[in-house]
Amino acid sequence: MSNIIIILAIFGWAILTYIAFRLNKTLGNIFVGLIAVALPVYYFTYVPEDYSFQVMGLTLQFGFTSFSSLFAILVVILGALTLLYSIPYMNKKDRLGWFYLNFLFSIGGMLGILMSKDFVSLFIFWEIMTWSSYLIVIFSGKKVNKVGVKYMVYSAIGAYAMLMAIVLINKWSGTTNISHFFETFADYSNGAKILSSLLLLTAFAVKSALMPLHVWAPNAYTNSPMSYTSLFSGALSKMGIYGMALVAIMLYTNTGMKFFGEALAWLGAITAVLATFWAVFQTDIRKLLAYSSIGQLGYIAVGLGIGTELGVMAALFLALLHGLFKGILFMAAGAIEYRTGKTDFSELRGLIWKMPVTFFSALVAIIALAGMPPLSGLISKWLIYEALLSSEHYFLIILIFLSSTAAFLYCFHFLYGVFLGQREDDIEDVKEAPALMLVPMVLMSFGLLALGTFPGLIFKHISSSMSYLGFNDVTWEMSVLTNEWGNKIYLTHLNTMFMVVFAVFFVIITLVARKKTRRVGTKDIANAGEPILAEDNYHFSQDFYKPFWRVISPVMKYRIETFYNSFANGIGEFFQFFRRVYTGNGQTYALYVVIFLTILFIVGATLI
Amino acid sequence: MDIWKLLLTGSVTTVLAFVVGMLYMGLRRKITARVQNRVGPPIYQNFLDVMKLWSKKSSINHGFMQHVAPLWMIATSITTLMFIPILNNGSTFFTNLTFEGDLIMLLYLMVVGSLGMALGAGQTGNPNSAIGVTRGLTQMVGFEIPWVMALVALMIQHRTTTVAGLLDVQVQSGTWLMLSSPFAFIAALLAIPGMFRYSPFDIVGAPAELASGPISEFGGKYLGTMMTNGAIFAFVKLTLFVDIFMGGASNLGFLLLKTFALYMFPVLWGLVSPRFRTEQAVRFFWGWPVFFGVLGLIQAAI
Amino acid sequence: MVNDKESQKIVDIIQNFARQSSLFVLAYGTGCGAIEIPPTMTSRYDAERFGIRGAATPRQADVLLITGYLATKSLKRVIRAYEQMQNPKYIIGFGSCTINGGMYWDSYNTINRLDMYIPVDVYINGCMPRPEAVIAGFAKLQKLIQAGKADGWDRYQKNLEFYRGNQKKIIHNWVMPDYNW
Repeated sequence: MSNIIIILAIFGWAILTYIAFRLNKTLGNIFVGLIAVALPVYYFTYVPEDYSFQVMGLTLQFGFTSFSSLFAILVVILGALTLLYSIPYMNKKDRLGWFYLNFLFSIGGMLGILMSKDFVSLFIFWEIMTWSSYLIVIFSGKKVNKVGVKYMVYSAIGAYAMLMAIVLINKWSGTTNISHFFETFADYSNGAKILSSLLLLTAFAVKSALMPLHVWAPNAYTNSPMSYTSLFSGALSKMGIYGMALVAIMLYTNTGMKFFGEALAWLGAITAVLATFWAVFQTDIRKLLAYSSIGQLGYIAVGLGIGTELGVMAALFLALLHGLFKGILFMAAGAIEYRTGKTDFSELRGLIWKMPVTFFSALVAIIALAGMPPLSGLISKWLIYEALLSSEHYFLIILIFLSSTAAFLYCFHFLYGVFLGQREDDIEDVKEAPALMLVPMVLMSFGLLALGTFPGLIFKHISSSMSYLGFNDVTWEMSVLTNEWGNKIYLTHLNTMFMVVFAVFFVIITLVARKKTRRVGTKDIANAGEPILAEDNYHFSQDFYKPFWRVISPVMKYRIETFYNSFANGIGEFFQFFRRVYTGNGQTYALYVVIFLTILFIVGATLI
Repeated sequence: MDIWKLLLTGSVTTVLAFVVGMLYMGLRRKITARVQNRVGPPIYQNFLDVMKLWSKKSSINHGFMQHVAPLWMIATSITTLMFIPILNNGSTFFTNLTFEGDLIMLLYLMVVGSLGMALGAGQTGNPNSAIGVTRGLTQMVGFEIPWVMALVALMIQHRTTTVAGLLDVQVQSGTWLMLSSPFAFIAALLAIPGMFRYSPFDIVGAPAELASGPISEFGGKYLGTMMTNGAIFAFVKLTLFVDIFMGGASNLGFLLLKTFALYMFPVLWGLVSPRFRTEQAVRFFWGWPVFFGVLGLIQAAI
Repeated sequence: MVNDKESQKIVDIIQNFARQSSLFVLAYGTGCGAIEIPPTMTSRYDAERFGIRGAATPRQADVLLITGYLATKSLKRVIRAYEQMQNPKYIIGFGSCTINGGMYWDSYNTINRLDMYIPVDVYINGCMPRPEAVIAGFAKLQKLIQAGKADGWDRYQKNLEFYRGNQKKIIHNWVMPDYNW
């Protein structure tokens, strides 16, 4: 019973929170804070227990598997931290009760998905999650209708695909049990195999924004409040990854349908490259991060698609890590938005002076995103490359490398455009974000730092969850990584070495001419002898990567969105034509009836 | 792992890298001068430059990131140096941390310095610095692709990802990888001038256009650290390349010979080349070098 | 430990040697004298053999080379460039115009004596001085640095009010930041 109770408790608490917000804002915030604390405490102390009941001839089963509990950790931790972050972030907004109702419903929906052991409850919770996230996407922001419709249409495609798959599976096997489906999948006919798995994959790919089903993501991520986007990009999109991992490993890798896995990997790689290219040219920090999310999810799809042990390990590690660093980055974007009200690169600059804690959290996250030592991003990148190398994917690895090198471009753009550059008077009254917003960011950056040297903390969970996927005895060590050819890297040595050399030179450079080292303002720059006046600002923010754009613009012309738009326009015109048939005039309809009857009569007469 | 031994050999290696790198850069200036029919500075001129910069009586910075940027770079260079085999004869003296890392890690480790530099340059508030950084990063996207293609071809073909493993392959077979995998070698070789940012790929820090770009606000001890780092990093790149493609070296004499011969390629190419614009540079790298990289991959696949 | 003064002396000799043999020049090409810089630097006279090379920005430079007459407008930029250089820094006044105004001595918009506004370490006479003279001037500067006598930057700091006063007489719309060391 304890399993389903956590979800019911969350839903119940969501309604209570809604009521509390109707009564009093402070009371509502207390309710939110309580559940943020209670959620991880309850999750990490309770004893898992399976539960099932019958309804209308269907058996609904609940319980965490060792695989889904990995994702549940992410959902619970990120959910709790984003809830805490939301309290100050959303404080000035209206309709808070509605917001938190949906927020908690989507956390509950996610946990429900992870808990479902049969397709019907999976579908129900999937829809709860989708609807609650949809309601938050249209909660605030600009052009909500357009964005919301886009999100809903793609979610509907995913949902119908999943529903169709469930119906088919129920028809073929007579049960909707998930593990039963995986066990008997090998016995299906080829057509049934391909159809069911592709339908499921479509459903999951929509949520994880895989090309070509990613179109909703940039706008939806940008439009929802940043506190929710942290969860949206960090955890909610991982539900797609969760399902995709099941399909890719249980259905493709384990039953010898390698071709589909390869296709998934290529799709992921192309997603990663193109999304990264688009992220480079964004002028809005939220959009930049949104495209970056799509790119990172592409890496995960690559890892899952190739389906080797290292690949899956890399994908799962990156899935968790992405939750952490993208959580930080969206929170940082939210903090900036909260304090300055601006999110465009052309309006932001020099915030390092005013928001140092936010800057250093974002720096840690960016280093992890870029995959540089001494942080944990290196490990995920390393695992993916080693997986691709040892499975001999010659060209896939080049695509991935192109994407992750191009990622440096937007990483620098984010840090420079927001935090560095020439300081301006208009940030003089900006303050550091409230403590409750900083705490989640700082906590997560410490997590990234710790994982950078001791990835074993997570490998422990990953190896146990991979046994569910059929990878038994996944070896892992606390801080040593080994590839399939036996090559190792020792993270402790690497990181200690880097830090020690850094510290030594830090002391040297700080002590040499210490008294004569002055700090000057950012307007005191070498500018051909011309002093920069107070009203001038030479911050470089327009056309940031113009040369790069000139290089890759031939590729960037082809956007899948253009295709979709023309498709939608075509459909629109098609039905516009049909509307001419329905004139609304009774006599025309009478004419149609007469014509129809005449045709029927003629056809009938000739047949007889 | 014996800490004291690592401390000793590590510092000896660092000093060696510093001295050799500095002398190479001095030689570059000398050779450039001779090609231009000048006498040129003495080859120890760069030591004097660094000494002078370190003995400047004042220096300025624009904030914490600029203060740590040179350190970030030099920490990267020295850490990378520790993971690169200096000699191939199994001598334990120059081992350092050679067997504790691999090539993928090195690829990522080598760009950490650029990030530090980029952040430091960004904080100065000088628009030239930021423009230089964007150009540098764009160029990096260009040259990393053929370079990685070459490495991937070698790594898959010889089923190892460590530099030491690739060295072993060459020592045991007796052939250098530049001979057995010529296409990969050409691809990597064409990427080398981009890594050194020598002409024609020197738009990043073009003195006349960008006022030396990213380093335009660095002076005194900061510039001194950067020049020190430049010397060490040049040695790192050359040694890595020699280890991977030219069979490493069994003693320091051979190491100097091979690295110098390799170093002459970007230097001499640079002497006779005008400057590429950024997009021209990227197009160049994605042209012939990538073509040879693909050939290398195909060769490895067969 | 040896005597502090003695050891300081040795350090000074070494540091001064490094300083004199590596001069990064910020050539402020104001007047016609700028045309003498390219031959000085390139293959005919090759100043680089003495460790003299160009610097791109004041932050990296040691020597500010004022090549010729200085209009009142460019004085402001010269002062700014000089103040952004890092200590120790030297100025070479190049050509007669920087000494007494030269052929522009009665012009309404040039200054006559450069060292009224910024401390000059070495003057190079001539209108205009040939590259040999320029190199001779650099050699003189090197001797002064080695002897520890090229202390223009120190004089500027100590007599800042004198220089500022003179500068403000010429530059009326004074919007410069303070000299910050």
